[in-house]
Amino acid sequence: MSERSQTVPTPEGEYFESSRFTGLSFLLGLIALVALALSVVGAFVNPHQFSYSWLFAFAFFFTLCAGCFFWTIVHHATDAEWSVVVRRQLENIAALLVVLALLFVPILLLRHHLYAWMDIPPGHEASLDSKRAYLNWSFFLVRAVLFLGFFAFASLALRRFSVRQDKDGNPRFTIGMRKVAFISLPMFALCLTFGAFDWLMSLNYHWFSTMFGVYIFAGAAGSSMSLLVLVITALRQAGYLKDVVTLEHYHIMGKWMFAFCVFWAYIGFGQYMLIWYANMPEETQYFITRNTESWWALSMLLVIGRFFIPFGILLLRSIKMEPRRLCIVAGWIVCMQMLDMYIIVLPALHGTGVHVSIWDVVSLIAIGATLGFAYLRVVAMTSLFPVRDPRLIESLKLVN
Amino acid sequence: MRTPAGHKVYAMAAEYPSAAALYEAAKRIRDAGFRRWDVYSPFPIHGMDEAMGLGKSWLSGWVLFGGVSGLLTAAVVEFGPSWFLYPLNVHGKPTNFFTVPAFFPIMFELTVLFGAFAAFFAMLGMNGLPRWYHPMFNWERFSRVTNDGFFLAIEARDPRFTETGVRELLEQSGGEHITIVHED
Repeated sequence: MSERSQTVPTPEGEYFESSRFTGLSFLLGLIALVALALSVVGAFVNPHQFSYSWLFAFAFFFTLCAGCFFWTIVHHATDAEWSVVVRRQLENIAALLVVLALLFVPILLLRHHLYAWMDIPPGHEASLDSKRAYLNWSFFLVRAVLFLGFFAFASLALRRFSVRQDKDGNPRFTIGMRKVAFISLPMFALCLTFGAFDWLMSLNYHWFSTMFGVYIFAGAAGSSMSLLVLVITALRQAGYLKDVVTLEHYHIMGKWMFAFCVFWAYIGFGQYMLIWYANMPEETQYFITRNTESWWALSMLLVIGRFFIPFGILLLRSIKMEPRRLCIVAGWIVCMQMLDMYIIVLPALHGTGVHVSIWDVVSLIAIGATLGFAYLRVVAMTSLFPVRDPRLIESLKLVN
Repeated sequence: MRTPAGHKVYAMAAEYPSAAALYEAAKRIRDAGFRRWDVYSPFPIHGMDEAMGLGKSWLSGWVLFGGVSGLLTAAVVEFGPSWFLYPLNVHGKPTNFFTVPAFFPIMFELTVLFGAFAAFFAMLGMNGLPRWYHPMFNWERFSRVTNDGFFLAIEARDPRFTETGVRELLEQSGGEHITIVHED
């Protein structure tokens, strides 16, 4: 019943011509190699600082990719129509979790610099001894392998089904992906929550917050939707997906960015207020570190920049339906996600104030360039949208 | 405008065989420049607001107004007593701006509550509800509108309304059973 006349896409789909972007690919590969080599230097020169820097960079990119995985499984589990045209890019970014699983290895190697609880022998601290059943090295390793293995396996399985459907359009694959998604939803919640507990919350083994997993999820979902907007717009700038992704899709992506901007604030404030109100030393130390000295300025920037500014801006429909403006907001949200991870990880090392290190930048560039290089490989392998998805036509005709 | 028998005229109405026909007809009426008219169907038709040229609804403006007034109400009833009228030391928390986290939940809830009230009552107001009777019910065939009937009515108060002109337009757009609907 839509007024818009629809051009049905060619059954072959659109393909990313990697030959057009060999320069960019080569540049990213070179940057990645140099930065990774520098990272090795950093790990030997200043392992203490480097381990925190690397964990910060890892957490930032991991939340972005895990968020894209979340959107893929939600798409299948809810039988969504609108997201069909952008789903392949979600799958491509989620597939980068395989690379991230490899980039987790330095954290395992440098674990003694990061996690103080690993070095304290039993019997020294009663509060830690009561957590030993969970906080011990062998269980930590098993969990890390399980979580990263799940993310890598499930994201690859979904992408594989989806790519195979491109050939024959068999609805069997849609059913199969839905089944994977149903199992993945609870698994995703558990893996992300306990991954956040293990890798980030246990930096300070005294501190605990039951909302921490949800907090990480809220940031991941919102920022990965922002990343999707940036990726889709970049592809459109390069001349792809012009007739496939419309302003209506941008409107929906903008609405999701808005929704998770509010959800992040809701969870973040819920976590803060309960700790602030109960006023228990074990819990408040986390926020005391982050609300004093120069960390206070960054915490305030996060509250204002991650919630108040995008909240006000994204209320307007004229922003959500204008790709260029939405991209500015999306880029800002991704930067705020980076700041969020920085404030979670680095105060554990520099409790007395902000201390930006060169290794923060090197780690960020090393992981970012590696993932960018891998993305350019992955994106060229298949059509840029699922050409034979049974719901593609409905998605193209989207009207909100 | 009145009929020869002296009845006040509400509108000229027509019935359409399908939702698609009604949708196409709506586009014709919109392009003919009519302002006071409406379509009636048993279910919502996707894209009809665009086909009718309705544009953006300003309900959102009312919701914003409701939300902001809820936020301000909460701020006044919380900060007023806690800072000025009856400052109490609760849990050793200060009675100044740094107590604000304790007030956020109420601010949030009143924002949502007033916003929801504004959405509900502004929706009723903008739709002219509650309303016990509608002139369209004076047309016998119109009772099918909750079953399988698709109707379009151009009101007599529209400045472009002329009996012959509208009848011709409705006929051209595929309308059937074209008739005058009385006001009372």
